[in-house]
Amino acid sequence: MYVLGLESTAHTFGVGITDGKDILSNVRDTYLPERGGIIPSKAAEHHYSLASKLIEKALSESGLKLKDIDVIAFSQGPGIFAPLKVSFQVAKYISEKFNKKMIGVNHCIAHLEIARKFTGFQDPVMLYVSGGNTQVITFEDGYYRIFGETQDIGVGNLLDKVGRLFEIKFPAGPEIERIAKRGKRYIEMPYSIKGMDVSLSGIETFIKRIKNSYRIEDILFSLQETVFSMLIEASERAIAYCGKDSFVITGGVAANKRLNEMGEKMCEERKTKFKSIPMEYAGDNGAMIAYTGFLMKDYQQNDLKPKTNFRTDEVKIEYR
Amino acid sequence: MKIMSVGAESKVFLNGNEIIKDRIKKGYRIAELDKKLRISRTKLEFKILNKCYSLGIRVPRPIKLSKSLTKIFMEYLGNKTLKDNFNIKYLNDAAMMIAKMHNRGIIHGDLTTANMIIKGDKIYLIDFGLGYFSQKTEDKATDLFLLKNALKAKHTKVYKRAYRSFLENYKRYSEEYEKIAERLEEIESRRRYIDQG
Ligand SMILES: Nc1ncnc2c1ncn2[C@@H]1O[C@H](COP(=O)(O)OP(=O)(O)O)[C@@H](O)[C@H]1O
Ligand SMILES: [Mg+2]
Repeated sequence: MYVLGLESTAHTFGVGITDGKDILSNVRDTYLPERGGIIPSKAAEHHYSLASKLIEKALSESGLKLKDIDVIAFSQGPGIFAPLKVSFQVAKYISEKFNKKMIGVNHCIAHLEIARKFTGFQDPVMLYVSGGNTQVITFEDGYYRIFGETQDIGVGNLLDKVGRLFEIKFPAGPEIERIAKRGKRYIEMPYSIKGMDVSLSGIETFIKRIKNSYRIEDILFSLQETVFSMLIEASERAIAYCGKDSFVITGGVAANKRLNEMGEKMCEERKTKFKSIPMEYAGDNGAMIAYTGFLMKDYQQNDLKPKTNFRTDEVKIEYR
Repeated sequence: MKIMSVGAESKVFLNGNEIIKDRIKKGYRIAELDKKLRISRTKLEFKILNKCYSLGIRVPRPIKLSKSLTKIFMEYLGNKTLKDNFNIKYLNDAAMMIAKMHNRGIIHGDLTTANMIIKGDKIYLIDFGLGYFSQKTEDKATDLFLLKNALKAKHTKVYKRAYRSFLENYKRYSEEYEKIAERLEEIESRRRYIDQG
């Protein structure tokens, strides 16, 4: 049995195919705005214009035809409405025209399931860091529950906002990481942790204020050190509270080497297992939607509409 | 000395009827930030423990602060956390103490059932590592919000009943319940809309 998965919650349109054991293909294309942040309608246009081409590519890479596919999975949310509804509409079209079962997948849960698959960890705590999302999630009593999260903006958004202050192009994460490597002097920044939650917006305000008084490399170095320490601390609190034995970091920001190094060190010190997952599966991708769609293949879902605020803990996990 | 427990940020050693809470070094943070956080939190925790103890709020009796400013010596309360021995009766007792703390401008900062210990038939509050002094409604409401999430995520079956009962008791002792409850709702609706952006 084969599942085709569609991802379009934000910048990336992705298509993946799985037979439940292996990922047979994982193709994608990311919309990059010329200046500034994401323009939802432009992202949606981008996704629509590439949908059929990428689906064909995924099928041919897998050596399959559309008729071989049994289930069409799509990311149902959370996400930005305009791009989000692209995968819903494409899935609906294919599902009606070719009579295939449609499965709506929670985007955050998909990140977690693909992370479990690639690390082999049964029951990890997951730090999920992307543009809009910053959450610490783990399984508890039938649901993936959010133990900690940002109380204001996502970490990727913070990096992009700070990037804009220094005219760094979107997405700013990789360039910030490069410049931060040259930083030496630590500038104290607002370190705000509340239980297992973090608050990040104070850091942007702070950097605006001190921007002209320090060297850019020291500012970005201190930004990374402060923010990532907060995220790893929140994760460690969840690991301790829930008594879990493993930890993974996923989402677009998981590409950052320093963040991974910190996660690894924290785990080493508290004798918790840590593994990174390949970047291809850490950023938004269609394979994770296909794979989670496979796990959910027997679900009977009544509500398949896109949900911009789809919460992780709304989905009953019946397959584990 | 016997290591008794490893928390999120500390190791706890048992020495007779005293414990030593050692806020250990975290290698993932740069040394400068690590040292600053450990010392400032330990000092503040000791100060809050003293304040609560003198106000008659049930906390371990603080004994002393180490020279390094990273260890606290305090009374040992036994090993029954509310997390592992959950019972609404004790949570109600905690609600009363949290309301009294808030009335006096003390914020706990990390209210979970792992930070509540049952001794005899009373509950004690521990771990003021993220605590601070504030009379802001927002800070008090955030304290309750964190406890609500910790209950919801970990004590899933009893959560609704437990939280309702907690609030009823908190209300009875709080001097400004209406304001705090209103802010709590605001925090929750704010949170529902930040998921994506
Ligand atoms: N005074 C005490 N009496 C008994 N047990 C304690 C005491 N203080 C701490 N503990 C135990 O040690 C654990 C960790 O201590 P805590 O103060 O919560 O530090 P952390 O910030 O690392 O969570 C607690 O969950 C509790 O089990
Ligand atoms: Mg604790």
